[in-house]
Amino acid sequence: MAIHSVYTLSKDDAEARNWLAFFRRHGYTDLLNLIIERVYWLEGVVKVDALLPLLANPLYQVTSPHTQLDLNQGPVVEIAYRPAVTDPETPSILAGARALGENGLEFTRLSKRYQFIGLEEQVARKIAARFLYNKIVERVREPHETVTTLHPTGKPDPVMSVALALLRDDQLVKLSRDRSWYAPLEQMRAIQSLEKMRARVLTDAEIEILVQSWSDHCYHTTWKSLGLLKRLTSATERIQHPLVVSVFKDNAGGIEFYDGWVVTIKGETHNFPSSIAPFGGVATKHGGVIRDTLGFGKGAHPIGGTTIMGTMDPRLAEEAVPEGALHPQLILTESIRATSYYCNPMGIPMMHPIYRCHPGYAKCLALGHSVGLIPKKYALKDAPRSGDVALLIGGETGRDGIHGATVSSTGMTGETLERESAAVQIGHPITERRFTSAIPVLRDADCIRAITDLGAGGISCAAGEMGSETGVLLNLDAIPLKDQSLTAWEILLSESQERMLLAVPPKKLDEAKEILNRYEVGHCVLGNFTNSKRLEATWRGRRVVDLEMAFLWGACPIEPLDAEKPKRQLNPLNIPEPRTEKDWGSAIRRVLAHYHCCDQSAAGSRFDTTVQGRTAVGPYGGRNHLMPTNIAVSAPLYGRPYGVITTVAMNPLYGEIDPAPMARLMIIEAITKAVVAGADYREMALCDNFYTPRVRPDVAWDLRQMVDAIAKLSVELGVPFISGKDSSSGTFVAGERRIDVPLTLAVASIGRVPDVKKIVTKEFKRAGNKLVLVGFSNSTALGGSVYADSFGQRGDLLYEPGPKNSIVRVWKALHRLNAAGKYASGSAIAEGGLALRLFEASFGSGLGARVELGKGAQGPRDAQMFGEYVGAVMLEISKEAKLKRLFGTLPYRLVGEVIPEARLVFTEKGKVVWQDSTESLAAAWSKTFREVVE
Amino acid sequence: MKNAVTAILYAPGTNCHDETAAAMARAGGKSEVVLTRDLLDGRKKLGDYQAAIVPGGFCYGDHLGAGRILGTLMVAQLREQLEGFLAAKKPLLGICNGFQVLAEAGILPSRTPGKRSMALLENQSAKFEDRKIRLAVSPEKSLWTDGIEGEVLAMPTAHGEGRPLFCETTSAPATRVAFRFADEAGKPATKYPDNPNGATASIAGITDETGMVLGLMPHPERAALPAHYSQDGLKIFINLVRWLLQS
Repeated sequence: MAIHSVYTLSKDDAEARNWLAFFRRHGYTDLLNLIIERVYWLEGVVKVDALLPLLANPLYQVTSPHTQLDLNQGPVVEIAYRPAVTDPETPSILAGARALGENGLEFTRLSKRYQFIGLEEQVARKIAARFLYNKIVERVREPHETVTTLHPTGKPDPVMSVALALLRDDQLVKLSRDRSWYAPLEQMRAIQSLEKMRARVLTDAEIEILVQSWSDHCYHTTWKSLGLLKRLTSATERIQHPLVVSVFKDNAGGIEFYDGWVVTIKGETHNFPSSIAPFGGVATKHGGVIRDTLGFGKGAHPIGGTTIMGTMDPRLAEEAVPEGALHPQLILTESIRATSYYCNPMGIPMMHPIYRCHPGYAKCLALGHSVGLIPKKYALKDAPRSGDVALLIGGETGRDGIHGATVSSTGMTGETLERESAAVQIGHPITERRFTSAIPVLRDADCIRAITDLGAGGISCAAGEMGSETGVLLNLDAIPLKDQSLTAWEILLSESQERMLLAVPPKKLDEAKEILNRYEVGHCVLGNFTNSKRLEATWRGRRVVDLEMAFLWGACPIEPLDAEKPKRQLNPLNIPEPRTEKDWGSAIRRVLAHYHCCDQSAAGSRFDTTVQGRTAVGPYGGRNHLMPTNIAVSAPLYGRPYGVITTVAMNPLYGEIDPAPMARLMIIEAITKAVVAGADYREMALCDNFYTPRVRPDVAWDLRQMVDAIAKLSVELGVPFISGKDSSSGTFVAGERRIDVPLTLAVASIGRVPDVKKIVTKEFKRAGNKLVLVGFSNSTALGGSVYADSFGQRGDLLYEPGPKNSIVRVWKALHRLNAAGKYASGSAIAEGGLALRLFEASFGSGLGARVELGKGAQGPRDAQMFGEYVGAVMLEISKEAKLKRLFGTLPYRLVGEVIPEARLVFTEKGKVVWQDSTESLAAAWSKTFREVVE
Repeated sequence: MKNAVTAILYAPGTNCHDETAAAMARAGGKSEVVLTRDLLDGRKKLGDYQAAIVPGGFCYGDHLGAGRILGTLMVAQLREQLEGFLAAKKPLLGICNGFQVLAEAGILPSRTPGKRSMALLENQSAKFEDRKIRLAVSPEKSLWTDGIEGEVLAMPTAHGEGRPLFCETTSAPATRVAFRFADEAGKPATKYPDNPNGATASIAGITDETGMVLGLMPHPERAALPAHYSQDGLKIFINLVRWLLQS
């Protein structure tokens, strides 16, 4: 069939300008210009002219049947999808062509030609390989290639039988690695015993399903072995919180909202793929955690999300980057591009964009949350029944993400980047957005008995879990493929994004299909739920999988893990107390310019924060809409005053000193941030995300301490954990070097407030008002602080937030005072201490503050200013107010007052020791992050 | 007309239809979310509605260009309905991606479905820009800005392609600027980020010659409810509802 091509150039190509600047920033200063030519390949009997209105806008795009690039100007690298893969745009173009009456168009492909003016060919190809395409699904189109057809081509491998019975242990281990199963010997032995038991050699499909259902990622073997999951769930059960609706078991956790609604939260890390392919990894991080919301109960609607990235210092010198790791600056900038690429089209407001760095994040932290909304009557799934239809909806199944579960469960070495890039998925938000709109319609029409997302492990995990009680029979030939060369096990394991699995009552199938067609969502009948208690699959007329559910979910050997108290090398802090005006000036600037405290809006402003029209308080506020609020408040029910408030606490520095106290501080920080804004801690719940090194006795010991600590504290406070996730693969090995991530726990809080208009934000409100520090504060608060880190020190002592009941007393008092409107502004003390709050409140208001050092405080002055008194808050109260009457026996002290001009003034015994304008401080504060990402 | 119903068009990738319906309800108007698939397949008719809004989003993933696919489908399959709608002088509003769709369809500014006379190019920053901006309402008369001429409105903007490019050779009557990005003083914003996308002459919204068709990049529906930081956007919806009542 004839193949036509249309080459288009833009007269005004901001993308090309952007890449040019990006590459020059990355050291390719010989690059003088970059031109991008887009090519459409059209197969069939078509009048190309008739299609031009679809392919180009003549106002700014020029088309030609031949390339418009002058090939003498510089090397051209043409990137296209692999022959077996379909372009995401193909269906759109075919639909457009049909609408234009060009039914003769059979198939179409795109390619992009990048011309690098000023570079050598091989340099151009190197750049392209690193930045411009993913070799799993894309390739470089060589000049003068002859194409006979555009249709996806490729032949699948046949299903193989893999005999294990005669293999020795060392051979089992080798096989496990060679096949990228990463299954420990005990699991290989268990599978070997199945073959012997069944007297039948297993198929590759069956073994693939077993090893990846048993991977740490899917089965949480590390946590199960240490009894940690049980520890957390039983703590939540003990609390018996009246608002809790759904805990841990489902794809997310949910608490009662108002008017018969439930709000949900879930956090997911996607560290491995984000480390080797940040763009694809981070995009699918969001896609995955959003599907957890869609897969909650009978289908919740996502109303907010977060992105939390932990990398090595993006300012790291090229040569300091570990062998085989990507440069942290690249991971950071690509992650921002990916979050913008995925979350904006999804139409989900960004609640918390947070970026942190630590030398241990060679394998980066890529965490995202999703917050959802669902009617209470649909908040709990029904069990699929024998005869229910297994309906697969969303995108087609491709080669992307194969072995994601097993690979992400192992450590990362320099060679992982090369060896396992197949485990990276590619995200297409438009596909997920389609069923995000359709699912509530299906749900409200009672077409959904149960629903779950396809994530790690793909179809085999989703169907295997959903059918674990009944059994399920899958017909793999029914599945639409975007890659014709997929064989059975690849179809079963593919982690192609944007797919959901539904259990649909047979009599509802037609209605479900009609809804899906009207919302233009792809779907296929994947099979049926049975009563066989087996996972069965057929492919090309052959039964390729036949596993007992009991074995699949019950036979995974859990090895006991040793735990041994680690020895930490800690040194006490040794930082000279600031004395002179100069000392103070540099101290303040160190803290404001610190990566963890600085202005990160260069990333945040690329994410939609107001879509859905639910945003009451977004990540940025104040009069200039650039002041970090540290809270997000959504009003999910249009026209109603009710609010959902969320906060996040994550600190990679504290864990180095003592993980268990760090874990407690994260809980207190997350709750206090919400409480000072007006939430009642008795109407809040928590979500935990752990990121820890590959398990060793010392790591196991710390993990257990952390989980014990948060389980115990959540019971004491009566604030339950309702969802969470653990990743125990935070180790990067480069040659001799082993780099462990810092013991990381991110705690997100979700709560409800009766009236979003009662929320108090942190910017100053009126000159003359008093500033009061309320809560426990002591001089040990510099250990693990940003201030100490700015001197390259960590310290040996973590802040002790005081007795649990004094913290609760502060929370109760804050709630009372907020209800009575007794404070005009307030902020919770955390990273950067009092100093950062003073600056932000001034920056967001155009007012300033005069603060008296030492007054009524103990300990050195720098601790007073920069100490991270987690659990304490700074409040702004009217100058007439009587402190004693307001705070009674609570720990509190007057620290200063709000002044009319936008500056910070520190005094001692009434004498000015340091002052500076907020504007000049803002210059230091807003520089750090911007310099790295722009 | 008392029972006028406004169609809020939903295509795959549209993601601002619910809040647009909420803003219409707050303004006291009736609206219905209508799937473009139902229009394309003939299950519904555009003519059954007294006004229409194309809301924000990324319809069809903005493949081949923001608003390109939906604009093409509408022109190819709904041309008569569109022309009938325009001829009947019914109000038509395109917000953000909806503005891009109306531009790609040739409806803004020249009311010539199938013949483009403007484009909305990628932001000068080549980035998606999420900002809280000021919007100066021009003195040009239109049903949308009736009574708020000269005011400066506060509302969010969030888009990656909002830089207008007009066809010099267009024979259609001159475009009418309805809104301009404004600086702190309320004057047309020349600098980033007050002018978030680098729009020439700070243009943030335009109408056709009749003033019946409005397209704007910022999001009035996100500044329309008590929970929002501003309710200035509601004025535009109230004007639409008032006009529908009076006509």
